[in-house]
Amino acid sequence: MAIVMISSLFQSGRKELAEIMAKKTNWPVLSREELVDRAREQGIKIGRLEVAMIKTPHQSEKLAREKDLYLAFLTATLCEKAREGSFIYYGRGGHLLLPGVSHRLRVGLSTPQEIRIDRTAQSLGLTPDKAVGYLKEIDDDFNRWLRFMHGVDSRDPKNFDAVFNLENIGLSNAADILSRMAEMPEFQPTAASTRMIENLSLSAQAKLRLALDDRTAEADLQVQTDNGVITVTYPPQQEQFRENIPAVLAELDGCREIQCTMAETNILWIQERFDPNAENYQQITQLAQRWGAAIELMRLIPPGEDAGNASASGADMDRAFSRKIQPYDGGVEDDDPQTIFNDGGLSRTKEDLLSQGRFGGQHTVCGGYASILERIQGSAQYTLVVIGDMFLSKGHSARTRQTRELALNIRDRVKAPVVTADEMKTRLLFSKKQGAQLAGFLALVVFLFIGVFTHQPELFSFLSGPLHQTYKWLSPIVMFLFIPLLAYLMGTVAGLALKIINID
Amino acid sequence: MHELLSVTYINIDLSIALQVILLGFIGGILSGFIGSGGAFFMTPGMMNLGVDGVAAVASNIAHKFGKAMVGAKKHAAAGNVDNKLAIYMLATAIGGVQVAVWINSFLFKMGGGGGEEGHGAPKGAGANLYISLVFATILSVVAISMLRDIMKSNKKGQDGAGPSMKIAEFFAKLNLPPVINFPVSDTKVSLWVLMVVGIATGYLAGTIGVGGFIGVPCMIYVFGVPTAVATGTELYLALFMGGYGAISYALQGFVDLRLTMLLYIGSLIGVHLGVYGVKVVNEKYIRIVTCLIILLCVVSRVVAVPIYLRQLRLIDMNPAWDVYFNSGSKFFLFASGITGALVILLKVIQAYRSRRKIQQTLLVVREPGLQPAAETAEAA
Repeated sequence: MAIVMISSLFQSGRKELAEIMAKKTNWPVLSREELVDRAREQGIKIGRLEVAMIKTPHQSEKLAREKDLYLAFLTATLCEKAREGSFIYYGRGGHLLLPGVSHRLRVGLSTPQEIRIDRTAQSLGLTPDKAVGYLKEIDDDFNRWLRFMHGVDSRDPKNFDAVFNLENIGLSNAADILSRMAEMPEFQPTAASTRMIENLSLSAQAKLRLALDDRTAEADLQVQTDNGVITVTYPPQQEQFRENIPAVLAELDGCREIQCTMAETNILWIQERFDPNAENYQQITQLAQRWGAAIELMRLIPPGEDAGNASASGADMDRAFSRKIQPYDGGVEDDDPQTIFNDGGLSRTKEDLLSQGRFGGQHTVCGGYASILERIQGSAQYTLVVIGDMFLSKGHSARTRQTRELALNIRDRVKAPVVTADEMKTRLLFSKKQGAQLAGFLALVVFLFIGVFTHQPELFSFLSGPLHQTYKWLSPIVMFLFIPLLAYLMGTVAGLALKIINID
Repeated sequence: MHELLSVTYINIDLSIALQVILLGFIGGILSGFIGSGGAFFMTPGMMNLGVDGVAAVASNIAHKFGKAMVGAKKHAAAGNVDNKLAIYMLATAIGGVQVAVWINSFLFKMGGGGGEEGHGAPKGAGANLYISLVFATILSVVAISMLRDIMKSNKKGQDGAGPSMKIAEFFAKLNLPPVINFPVSDTKVSLWVLMVVGIATGYLAGTIGVGGFIGVPCMIYVFGVPTAVATGTELYLALFMGGYGAISYALQGFVDLRLTMLLYIGSLIGVHLGVYGVKVVNEKYIRIVTCLIILLCVVSRVVAVPIYLRQLRLIDMNPAWDVYFNSGSKFFLFASGITGALVILLKVIQAYRSRRKIQQTLLVVREPGLQPAAETAEAA
């Protein structure tokens, strides 16, 4: 079974390639246009979303809801299609759909610009000059659309498995190559990738139901799914929706359990092994209590670790690092109870978070930052991402360095602060060290104030009097150095003092 | 009063010190809440306490310099700063700040008539009048535009639909070369449009200490920059412009370091409370509160204008009336700031209490097909 996702710029031959490949393989074809029509029938306002997203460079809450709804619809439809068997999808940004499903084949096309201009001019009845302008506009819109919808750059090669330069290869040959590629073991479903489709499907179905049902349509909800458990997070001011959530999601196929957590925001915690008795667990829950946040757990299994364990615990295989090929098993899972039990402490941590009302969902991914980004891109909005204890098999120095590098890589791509556990401790929690800092800085500030206010005549002379006339450049230089120092000292004192009473 | 070579420094007793701290606190709350400096409140507030207009602006710019440094660092960590846009804006804004410093210094040195005790120093009446008029005009335009925006979104039922992009689209269509691409903000802007906005921002920052009120809306409406990036970039810009403005004014001997220090006491606490308020208050409510505060500030400045006109002998008015105009001006200013700050503080306290109260609320339904068997845990 194969899922082929063809993506390209306007008039670059994606439709033709999909059709030729369909003839060769007898796989059904699904186009973006077809999905858009179906979405419109469901009442999703795609036109308004497209105009607003392309023309307005910032996302309002309403647009963000529409975007989530549209993505949920696409995901639900594609997952449904994937359950039926192989298929080919073509459309702009198709390669970014179904994130984390390792057996999809993501295809990009590079088409000579003169061919695109000719095709555009012919299809729209434009002069070549106008076609050039039209293509430039539509390409810009396309790039914006991808950044808005998925938060990625369309040209990033990491997001493709194969890119064909149509200047050098014909569509028919490209289709042949793709057909053969789709049969390779790398693009066959595994237990993990099948489970990922189930998770994505359930999550998308839940989002659609919640968004389209009058009882919950106005709520700002975060939905996470793992192995049949749906976790819905809602803000405190929307507590009235809480009772409706289970009712709306009732009888959803594949749903075993629904967990509703009230939270003002979400914190993503990425770690290799979780332990509710560990020090960093206490620290992160303390932070969550202060912020009124739900904690979403992401267990990361680094590349090279036991693949069997990863598979059993629901991980998908990392593609950017060591691409491990799992034997084709048609999605049938190994149900060895020994491996299922070893989930890196996720279950115990989840139970503890549930008892505190702070659970915001869980995932397991295998690989590096590419896997994490693929999993979280364009989905939930986080106030903070915490990189906890990682690379546990390495020595202290290597662990510290690699954790920092991982944090840096994620920080570049995620629209939220990313901190390591150590940084969280120093920057976000009130420690003894910070208590000493507060006392020291406060004493320094008091000293400066006493100094200034007991020497006013000298100060006036320095700022604007005789001394100023003699050494005119001295006061600007001193001011330039003194004011930021004072702001830093007083800002730190104010911030730490408010932190003590949990206002931050 | 301390009559020095270039400016008159006021005596700061405990009462004045507390009032300056209060100004800083309210300005800080407003700045944290509406994200635009708070100078519109603090500058006229200090003038009402008898500080020369130019010294009030200079001390406030120096205060803004340090505060922007702290804020810009936080925004940069959150990825909200477009460095490229900031550099272009800065290069053009520096020219604007220089023009403003030059005009203010010129008007101050030109002096005014008067010579009586009363509101501000008569020597600076020309600069005071000029600053007040620019202040009232610009902030009226900003407040009215914001109100229109709110009313429009009310009519269309588009709460949260975001700012209009008509102006940005218009300039984009003009396509005046050279056009510069800003990948972080995901927008392209003509260098000419950038220069005009940069100079205007710098000029206003240098004249009335209010740069963000122009810079942020211009970046959003004219350049099409996302709101979070506009705010972060403006703060980054304010850091450099504030630094440049502080040095320029310090060179002229206008900065009163005591005022800057007192402002910090209040503002650095207030700004934290304001930022906290943003997290818990509805966006439309924030905009309405902002508009009302600005409009009341404008009224406050307009009420003070006759005093400067009389001091400049442009109108014939009994000097004894100054006290009434001054009191009226103070009343509107403090009414706007205190009401706004109280409303925000009220919301902050409400949110703080509810956060403490609702520590845990959990609902788990294990069999969704059946009647929900809910287990809830309310916090102690």
